[in-house]
Amino acid sequence: MKVYVDDVPVDLPAGMTVKHALIRSGLLKEIEASKKVYDEWGNEMGLDGALSEGMKVYVK
Amino acid sequence: MIFRGHRTLVLCSILLLLVPLTYGDATEIRILHVNDFHGFAEPYQPFGSNDYLGGISFLAHRANQLRREKPTLFLAAGDMIQGNNWANLSQGESVIELMNLIGFDAMVVGNHEFDFGQEALKRRISEASFPVLGANVKGMEGLKPYVIKELGGIKVAVIGVVTEDTPVSTSPKNVMGLEFLSPFSVTEKYIRELRDRVNLIVVLSHIGFSVDRNLAEDVKGIDVIVGGHSHTRVAKPVRIGGTLIAQAWEHGKALGVLDLTLQDGKLVEWDGYLEDIRPKQGGEDPKVQSLVEGHSRKINSVMDVTIGETGVELDGENVRRKETNLGDFIADILREVSGADAAIINGGGIRASLKQGEIKIKDIYTILPFDNYVVSIKLTGEQIRQALEHGLSGIEEWEGRFPQVSGLTVTYSRSAPRGSRIQSILIRGKPIDLNREYQVATNDFMAAGGDGYRVFGEAVLSSKDFEIVGGMMKGEKLAYSDSGRWIRDVVIGSIREKKKISPMVEGRIGEVN
Repeated sequence: MKVYVDDVPVDLPAGMTVKHALIRSGLLKEIEASKKVYDEWGNEMGLDGALSEGMKVYVK
Repeated sequence: MIFRGHRTLVLCSILLLLVPLTYGDATEIRILHVNDFHGFAEPYQPFGSNDYLGGISFLAHRANQLRREKPTLFLAAGDMIQGNNWANLSQGESVIELMNLIGFDAMVVGNHEFDFGQEALKRRISEASFPVLGANVKGMEGLKPYVIKELGGIKVAVIGVVTEDTPVSTSPKNVMGLEFLSPFSVTEKYIRELRDRVNLIVVLSHIGFSVDRNLAEDVKGIDVIVGGHSHTRVAKPVRIGGTLIAQAWEHGKALGVLDLTLQDGKLVEWDGYLEDIRPKQGGEDPKVQSLVEGHSRKINSVMDVTIGETGVELDGENVRRKETNLGDFIADILREVSGADAAIINGGGIRASLKQGEIKIKDIYTILPFDNYVVSIKLTGEQIRQALEHGLSGIEEWEGRFPQVSGLTVTYSRSAPRGSRIQSILIRGKPIDLNREYQVATNDFMAAGGDGYRVFGEAVLSSKDFEIVGGMMKGEKLAYSDSGRWIRDVVIGSIREKKKISPMVEGRIGEVN
């Protein structure tokens, strides 16, 4: 499954979540520093949120 | 006389609240919704937050207030019964008890509802005083495709659909014999069946917000999608075509409210929002609070239960710099449970030692505090070598990536440059074939590339798409994934079976000069 974190492609096994995409991108620590994850429509997502093919998430 | 006048006024007000708000032919109804609760019954501090959020007794209190205002449906969009200890220790029974008390009207199964196996799910469905939906699940006893509710003269059909990816997010045995059909074609089928019988069609979905949007675009005739699965905080419902899509974040941290006005039986007006839920003195439902506390007390007593005994001290202190008996023991369990050739786990995931003697559940929670699950990925011998080189490259700094292994015997030289330290690798007692593919168990953190183990992600990159046949995974590089069971629970189960353990350091990772 390919998803995009801050527009950078990340490959993950199907069934993995937002948290795994951030681990893969090295951005999980940003969340500890009070940043949040949003989908491409600007909705906040939880770290355990399911991903789907081609999904885009942003850390802000 | 004045007193009597007041009483009449009060009675009229109460009657107004009880009768559907109807103006001419217009009727107002309300949908309350939650999703991805995952057993978060008590308020908690989310990762990266200083505030306590959620708390189901506070959510229930607010829901009760809102329900008094107009005819209301209270819906749950899946992944309710599995997640944290509050739910897991009773295999979700505590959550169903809670939902019965709160008075939910319907729930759709989420992928994690299957995590305790089909027998446990059947029991949960039979305990529920509300229908549990799953229109696109073939073969699961007790699930209903839809339910029709009547609110203030308005007939509402609620169709439940769950993600087709369910078989890849739980242990294969949990979905054996089940088929997860396309939510799109199944929803279309039931819309055709129900459209003329009802005023409003609601899809209670556990397929994720982006897929909900696709569903709204592709399938005509859905009035409302109440969603879950992606844990999305949809602050205000979006409208795509003629379909409203709502989702209420996760863990009971928000209560979704969707107000609908129908005229001549047709949806003409809507307003939706999320109510953030926070613990507040006096803002709880006392009955729900009492139930939550009762189960929390049970959990605390369960933590003190003895599950076995260790004949030796289990070394969790040195896991970042050398092989330890505790590292071996846990890696062995991962390899065995997934049927893999080998296992590699990061020493940094093991956080404590345990003295010789009794093993209690709380000891294992201390040793393995992280919510990680078992994953097994097909790697070539060369990729295994790269993973081990990476793991052995941070010994000097006692980095958490030091590998604790099973099924592998590795020799390395610390004095060699980082990345070229390995001298030999045996897998299941034979020299590793760098071109052959092996199945390697690990945890989901490492499988996602955590602690710098990028090789796992690269292996996935080289794989084709999943094929799911009859609920079973076929092909692909991901050989096993059980996101419904934390590794600590797998370890507890193994100790319970073995009763007495005395793991020894076996020379799996040997330093040579």
